[in-house]
Amino acid sequence: MTAPALTRRELRGARMRLRVRNVRDFVRRFARRTDGVFGVLVLLFFGILALAPSVFVGPLETVTTATGQSFEPPSPAHLFGTDHLGRDMLNLTVHGARISMFIGLLATVITILLGAVVGIASGFIGGRWDSVMMRITDFFLVIPTFVLAIILAPIILDLVGTGAELFGIRATLLVIVVVIGLTSWAATARIIRSQTLSVRERMFVDRARVIGGGGPHIMRRHILPNVVNLIVANTVLTFAGAIFTETTLSFIGLGDPFQPSWGQLLNAAQSSGAPGLGAWWCIVPPAACVVLVILAFTLVGNALDDILNPKQAGRR
Amino acid sequence: MTLLPDPRHLGRAEAEKTRALEDADAAAEAALEAPAAAAGLELPGAGLARAAGRGRRQWPLPKQADPDAPLLVVEGLSTHFRLGNGVVHAVDDVSFTLDDGEALGIAGESGCGKTTTALSLLKLLPSNADVVAGSVRLFGIDLRQKSEQAMRRYRWREISVIFQGAMNALNPVRRVGDQIAEPMIERLGMSPSAAATRARELLELVGIPKARAKAHPHELSGGMRQRAMIAMALACDPAIIIGDEPTTALDVMVQAQILELLEDLRAKLGLSLILITHDLSVLAETCDRVMIMYAGKVAEEGPVGRIFGSPRHPYTQMLLRAFPDVHAGRRDLGTIPGTPPDLRTPPPGCRFHPRCPVAMDVCRVEVPPEVRFDDRVRVACHLYPPGSDGTPRALPIAAAAGGPS
Amino acid sequence: MSLRYLSRQSLQALFTIVMIVLLNFVLFRMMPGSPERILFRNPNLTQEALAAIRERWGLDQPLFPDQFFAYIVATLQGDLGDSYKFIGQPVIEVISERFWPTMILLGLGEMIAVVVGLALGSYTGWRRGGLVDRVGNGFSLVFYSMPYFVIGMPLIIIFATGLGWFPTSGMFTLGATYDSFLDQLLDFLHHLVLPLITVSIGLIGGYSILMRSSIVETRSEDYIGTARAKGLTDARILRHHAFPNALLPVVTLIAINLGYVVAGAITAEVVFNWPGLGTLTVDALNARDYPVLQGVFLFLGISVVLANLAADVVYGFLDPRVRR
Repeated sequence: MTAPALTRRELRGARMRLRVRNVRDFVRRFARRTDGVFGVLVLLFFGILALAPSVFVGPLETVTTATGQSFEPPSPAHLFGTDHLGRDMLNLTVHGARISMFIGLLATVITILLGAVVGIASGFIGGRWDSVMMRITDFFLVIPTFVLAIILAPIILDLVGTGAELFGIRATLLVIVVVIGLTSWAATARIIRSQTLSVRERMFVDRARVIGGGGPHIMRRHILPNVVNLIVANTVLTFAGAIFTETTLSFIGLGDPFQPSWGQLLNAAQSSGAPGLGAWWCIVPPAACVVLVILAFTLVGNALDDILNPKQAGRR
Repeated sequence: MTLLPDPRHLGRAEAEKTRALEDADAAAEAALEAPAAAAGLELPGAGLARAAGRGRRQWPLPKQADPDAPLLVVEGLSTHFRLGNGVVHAVDDVSFTLDDGEALGIAGESGCGKTTTALSLLKLLPSNADVVAGSVRLFGIDLRQKSEQAMRRYRWREISVIFQGAMNALNPVRRVGDQIAEPMIERLGMSPSAAATRARELLELVGIPKARAKAHPHELSGGMRQRAMIAMALACDPAIIIGDEPTTALDVMVQAQILELLEDLRAKLGLSLILITHDLSVLAETCDRVMIMYAGKVAEEGPVGRIFGSPRHPYTQMLLRAFPDVHAGRRDLGTIPGTPPDLRTPPPGCRFHPRCPVAMDVCRVEVPPEVRFDDRVRVACHLYPPGSDGTPRALPIAAAAGGPS
Repeated sequence: MSLRYLSRQSLQALFTIVMIVLLNFVLFRMMPGSPERILFRNPNLTQEALAAIRERWGLDQPLFPDQFFAYIVATLQGDLGDSYKFIGQPVIEVISERFWPTMILLGLGEMIAVVVGLALGSYTGWRRGGLVDRVGNGFSLVFYSMPYFVIGMPLIIIFATGLGWFPTSGMFTLGATYDSFLDQLLDFLHHLVLPLITVSIGLIGGYSILMRSSIVETRSEDYIGTARAKGLTDARILRHHAFPNALLPVVTLIAINLGYVVAGAITAEVVFNWPGLGTLTVDALNARDYPVLQGVFLFLGISVVLANLAADVVYGFLDPRVRR
């Protein structure tokens, strides 16, 4: 090497500039994907609604504070009509955004944490430990985790008791969060493990060239950046799955009538006979929101995946 | 007038060299009367070879074919690739001919346009590529004018291809015998049983036991897969076979076997061959004529003995110097400094001038015209302007580069 | 097909089944909060029933090895306990009653989805760009994002309640009597249409997207170039070269997906009140009928594992490279 070494300050500056350039490049490439941009806009919309629903539609209506008659069709007074209890559907739907998104977020965090820990540990340590962990992971991939979730939920709920609350979210919903996390981590673990393995291979080749860098230093500088890309794309897609699962679990009765998510609203609609009565306004708003949000996450996740993890042409 | 100290490459080329020189002298007079329109010069015996080769065909010539026309005449072929950020001039004004029974080698660095040239003949290019100029006359029929539908008549039945890396070029889930029989059934209308029988015969012809027809590609060794590809290329009894780096992925022993096989088949079946490779030793073994390409254009083209024995174009000379020679004494291998140009914005004038040790001012400005010599060599270099007698205009490379050690 | 491949896959399947059985045991007997506590909470049980259950399952005996082995033996004999809700009825009976409706719905739905989804995906993947591709892809994405009941409920409102073409729920018309088997069959089919469409649409989206991306990747393979050079027609190249190769990863993914298909079936059944394992599960959930829940988990788990094994065998036929 004949070039003069940079001072620490210059190095940091150069690194910052590189990072800024990478970010700008990424934003530019993302902006070109209309599907990704559409997804981001949709998520932004629902995110804002979810953060402060009361600002937009007032406090959540309950049985006692219902403002309308039962099953009123949409009208200027009630834009989305009312449900079987006379509650304004617009109000319920907007508040449902907060519940659904929050549960989805928590469940995703748990799933990704579990999956990442198992995946990275398994890939990095290797050997016996890896084989055992992968057996367990594959097991969770094969079994019908949904049925497992259905079994676990009431068991855990019976253990914890229905009165508990955390962050203003009641126990019933927390149980859903935990259950989703416990049953969905396997796919993430597999993906992250394979990425860890390929990074580890590269690492051992680079190690010869790293002068003076210790273990944790290599971990931080080499492994983490490469795995993070994959985790980010996977997280977004996991979020879509979490909302999907939560909506389904709520629909079959594991939801909370007092803090209704969109799935719970659909459950209420089903059990109150809305489809048979032709009360489509009880079904369409929450259903449309669910579909939009899941679609948005899927589009964004795919766009991120394409940009952050480009597949080489002709890759085997 | 050799500029290099007696480069004798693999033994075969030596004999070729002598023979070619004799041929050249004999043909010199006849060449003077040859029609100027043709892109290449024909040996006096070409007419006979043509009749013999075409007589051996199993299937009739295409309806539009002219039985007296030369086998393949390519003139001014140009192919462009449309990329997001520009247009790549991959092939620019390339011309050559191929006679019945001849083997033409196309050589050059990676990315010089050899494969694209060959694929352009059959319009087997990806969707972002266009053949923008030139003509490709097979038996006098201009293939460039044909639609995709019409092209199919000529694919495999007149010109077939042996691709590089047979592992990926063969369908992994179908049996080898079926893949060989497929074009016979689909294109020639043979019955499946007849096609299967002939497929087994072809396998035997290329040295694979008939029983292996039931095998899948992954069950064969690399050399056997390449042979299978050759058998497949022969299925419809084509006039021309294009070999795109057919031996590159193989080890040297297997390479030799494959080359020998190709030679054998040429002799037996009267095939014409276009061999694309960056390995000059392979060309010296197998080809009658060699075309050296650089950056999408033809640098030099002629009989293999002349090209290897007395290369004229500086690029050819440097290319030959970069190849080790078993027979010669020890020397440093020459390298060509710099890298091939970006073909989105090729350099003005001669495309080689940035890397050429004897580049003159005119080279930076004007595209060198093609000049034909008596010994049937074409060169495009300002060292040999039109009317040149073969003596280069400027200093020889040996002196300019300091010579071998 | 090689015996080694078959036996290897079978062994893995067996291992997984064993793990499922064990998991079942762990869930019920070993969860903190003994079965008794859960039993006590169940409002459906009388004191006598409680005592009977306790004795029947030997809950007063030590957990391991007595309870464990008793459980294994009982399971192997097909004795999965008695339902809480349908008092006295063995779980295995309850489950087998509901088995066929689910199998028909799921089986047919999956078959339709595979055929249509793969065909759609192949076509759009081969002819990239163009209106059909964009529209098809768009619809696939939307349907892929819709939970089954989100598909089902609008279908009911439009076609059942609204247009009256199909019944809104159930497998047979309530209280109907039939003159012939054919009549019964027709009524059954009449009720089957909407649930079947729901399940199929839910799956088609995902399969179509999968196949499309697989075909797109396959298109750039070298042997497709060889096929083109051979002068074969586009249709032939797609059918004989691209499709068989693109199918391979998709088959694997379809197999993995089977676990999730079960989830969908459950919700679809709920929407249409289809008397299958799905509605059984939800009813058992609401009644805290643990024996039935566990029985269903065991049953569905084993079914999925066996289906995966079948998919592995199919894959073995399709890809000659794994057969050795």
